[in-house]
Amino acid sequence: MDILYVAVNILVFLLLAPFFDGVVRRITARVVQSRQGPPLMQTYYDIFKLLGKQNLTPGNVGFKIAPLVALASIISVIVFFPLGHEVNVLAGYADIITVIYLLTLGGVAVLLGALSSKNTYASLGSSREMITMIMVEPVLAMTFILGAVKIKSLGIGASVASVAGGGYGASVIIMLVVYLAALQAFVGRQPFDIAEAEVEILEGPFIEFSGPNLALFKYYMLMKQMFYAALFVVVFIPAIKTGYYGFDVLIQLAFVSLVYVLIAVLGSTHPRMRIDQAQKFYAVLIAASLVAIGLSVYGI
Amino acid sequence: MNIDLYSSLQIAMAILLGSAVIVPLLSGKRKLAGWLNFILVTAAAVVLLNISFVSIFQGGAATQKVLGVYMLIDGFSGFFIGIISFLAIMSSFYSIQYMEHYADYKLWSYYLCFPLFILGMIGIVTVDDLSTGFTIAWQIMTVASYFLIRFEYKEKGNIRNANKYLILMELAWVLILAGTFFISGFSWGDSLHSLVEKLGATSGASLFIVYGLILIGFGFKAGMFPFGQLWLPDAHSIAPSPISALLSGVMIKTGVYGIIRTFFWMVPKEGFNGMVWGIIIASFGAVTLFVGTTQALKQHDAKRLHAYHSIGQMGYIILGIGSALVMLNSPSVFVKALSVLAIIGAMYHTLNHTVFKGLLFLSTGSVLYATGTKDLNKLGGLIKIMPVTALVAGIASLSIAGMPSFSGFASKWTIISSDILAGNQSLMLAIFGIIALFTSAVTLASYVKFFGMTFTSSGVEWTVKKEIKEVPWTMLLPKVILAMLCLAQGLLPILYFETFIGIFKNSAGSSLQAVFGDVSLDNYIVNSAMGVSVTVPGLEGAVSSVAVPLVVLIILAAAYLFAWLLKKSGGAEEKEVPTWLCGYQDLNNNNRYVAHNMYSAFKKAVKWTGGNVKK
Repeated sequence: MDILYVAVNILVFLLLAPFFDGVVRRITARVVQSRQGPPLMQTYYDIFKLLGKQNLTPGNVGFKIAPLVALASIISVIVFFPLGHEVNVLAGYADIITVIYLLTLGGVAVLLGALSSKNTYASLGSSREMITMIMVEPVLAMTFILGAVKIKSLGIGASVASVAGGGYGASVIIMLVVYLAALQAFVGRQPFDIAEAEVEILEGPFIEFSGPNLALFKYYMLMKQMFYAALFVVVFIPAIKTGYYGFDVLIQLAFVSLVYVLIAVLGSTHPRMRIDQAQKFYAVLIAASLVAIGLSVYGI
Repeated sequence: MNIDLYSSLQIAMAILLGSAVIVPLLSGKRKLAGWLNFILVTAAAVVLLNISFVSIFQGGAATQKVLGVYMLIDGFSGFFIGIISFLAIMSSFYSIQYMEHYADYKLWSYYLCFPLFILGMIGIVTVDDLSTGFTIAWQIMTVASYFLIRFEYKEKGNIRNANKYLILMELAWVLILAGTFFISGFSWGDSLHSLVEKLGATSGASLFIVYGLILIGFGFKAGMFPFGQLWLPDAHSIAPSPISALLSGVMIKTGVYGIIRTFFWMVPKEGFNGMVWGIIIASFGAVTLFVGTTQALKQHDAKRLHAYHSIGQMGYIILGIGSALVMLNSPSVFVKALSVLAIIGAMYHTLNHTVFKGLLFLSTGSVLYATGTKDLNKLGGLIKIMPVTALVAGIASLSIAGMPSFSGFASKWTIISSDILAGNQSLMLAIFGIIALFTSAVTLASYVKFFGMTFTSSGVEWTVKKEIKEVPWTMLLPKVILAMLCLAQGLLPILYFETFIGIFKNSAGSSLQAVFGDVSLDNYIVNSAMGVSVTVPGLEGAVSSVAVPLVVLIILAAAYLFAWLLKKSGGAEEKEVPTWLCGYQDLNNNNRYVAHNMYSAFKKAVKWTGGNVKK
């Protein structure tokens, strides 16, 4: 029956990711921009509509498989996710390094699709996307590693639980701040949605995608956002174990929605950066997270 | 033992020598010479592979004097014999058709030097001294490869680059020999065994000079920063592609062989400060992998890109070696046990790099053969025209970038996870691990560019005048074999772990044998569904790290299926249309986004690492 936990993981993420996006859109509209905004379920409608629309391709293999690989990679990441602090049976077959590389696989799929679409804007966007990946991946990695070096294990459950499990030392506080600072870059929203930059390069990597292909990419982005939001909760908020798995998950989801509020507010109040500015910002984050790792090795 | 390893070795060497004598005489008939070279090299390689198999799985032989030179075939040299002879078969088969592409050049020098080059490399990994035998092997390897590198001597600048290679390799040889002269009581022709005893009697300062010079000497060969940058990209990019594959795939590995032999075998019981040397080697490794890879990112000549990545990937191997040395000499039992993982990682990455880098050079060779260019700014859109080459190049690119369930992942995972776990005791190793992880994202960026700009995107429609066809089957077959091997190495790490553990368990005389003595697959390194999971002493019951590519692949496949069903669920119709370009009816050469433009912000930020190229 252990496999049920995996099913819960996938279902929760698949079902709720579009809803949380609806929340972000609602907050952006009502709180920041003083307008009515779309209904909370709007993102589901968008995806349903796209799934039925005509699918245009320039006719090469890379373009066709890219959206499938992207969604597959993020679902695989979700499979290993310790939702409700419950380490499921499949998570015993992977560790944090596997998860990090799987996340980059999603990015690779986006780039492959972009470069296969033969569109100049898409190539431009993919170049930016890759720079963002290079620069924020270390921050993600070090978030995990912070826990890993403490507990001498790269296991997903162990290293994730050990970050906040040992209390909020200086290293954990620094990492927490860095994670929040990198959050918008992780989830690809303003001020770091440089790769897509709707008004500048017209959705960049996704410009040539339409119909179901675009729906898959959208879903991929939504799931990725929810993964990073949920990861923050799992890593930095100590486990509250009620004894009932369902309650544990609900408590976590409540925290996740708070992270989404933050994403919405940050996203709608900050103008987009240029890639070179963002790069400098990420470099500072990398340096800060190195400091956090250093402190944690010395037990601070 | 059922075969005499040393007489088999002599037979193989005789066949290679024979090939070098016979084939050049027939080089007027180009195809015939190619086939003959392939047959003879393969005959020798089969004998060698048998030696390799026996010495790895049934135990090697003790040092023996063969023709006045001390030789040693143990499991460790057996491994290197194996990769050299395997890649030699692939490369010689590929050469048959590929060399047709050099219509203006006579082939006698190529077929003279090809078997000699293999012979020299086999020599390096089997001789057991640092004087006579070493000199002969090194010179054969160096001179033969020199002539292979300057094969295209009519091209401007090639002779200069080849000469530079020759001079630097001779310098490396001088450094290694000079190193041995500082060993007190050294006499010409000593076997490594007797050198170890003499090293024990050597005083501290000289000892530092000995190891320092040998490290630099082999570091030159292995492409270690800053020495590799002096020759490697120039030499590897001008050689014919099958030779580039051998240079990057195996020749630079002889440097790895030398470094591991020196720092794990050639060590006296007392007086050798393994910790310090470990830190030095690991630091060199970390710098090499970072600098090599960021330099590679800036290249848009495909072969130079691969060559710089060879430096970067060698950095991973050197980091693995150095980390193993540090861990081995650590006071903590926990960290000491990790040295097993680090050295396995180094060996595993050596193997993986041989296969995927060989494959990448052969793929670029095929692109060069079909289009006449290796400039990524000009290439693009080959996936439709050369689907098989595109597929295998894609596998190789994912492998070198370390995507899960491809081969680079398993070995990089091994190196990185051992370093990060050791981070509990040593901040330095944790940081090296993080640098390695960061660098593998840069590697990925570079190979996304290589693959994207060669096979997807667009370009050849305008820049290549002749008609492009997929290369003939003789050039595809070796690549397909290498690609399948790439997949096997990625999916079944436990097989390779077992092999490497076996090699080091039987490694009499190495400082690693003791640590490996305790390792059994049931205790610390456990087979979990053909993947590997590791626990460390003191933490039994808690899995320290685990990678099971097969399970990850199955999960990915299931998720892919789900995604495909989702895509089909709306019943949307699919239509093939050309890319829409804001009213400009067709894409043209002037508004392409070329390789040179990729990642410019990042390239600017890492300008200080050197290796910059002008447009």
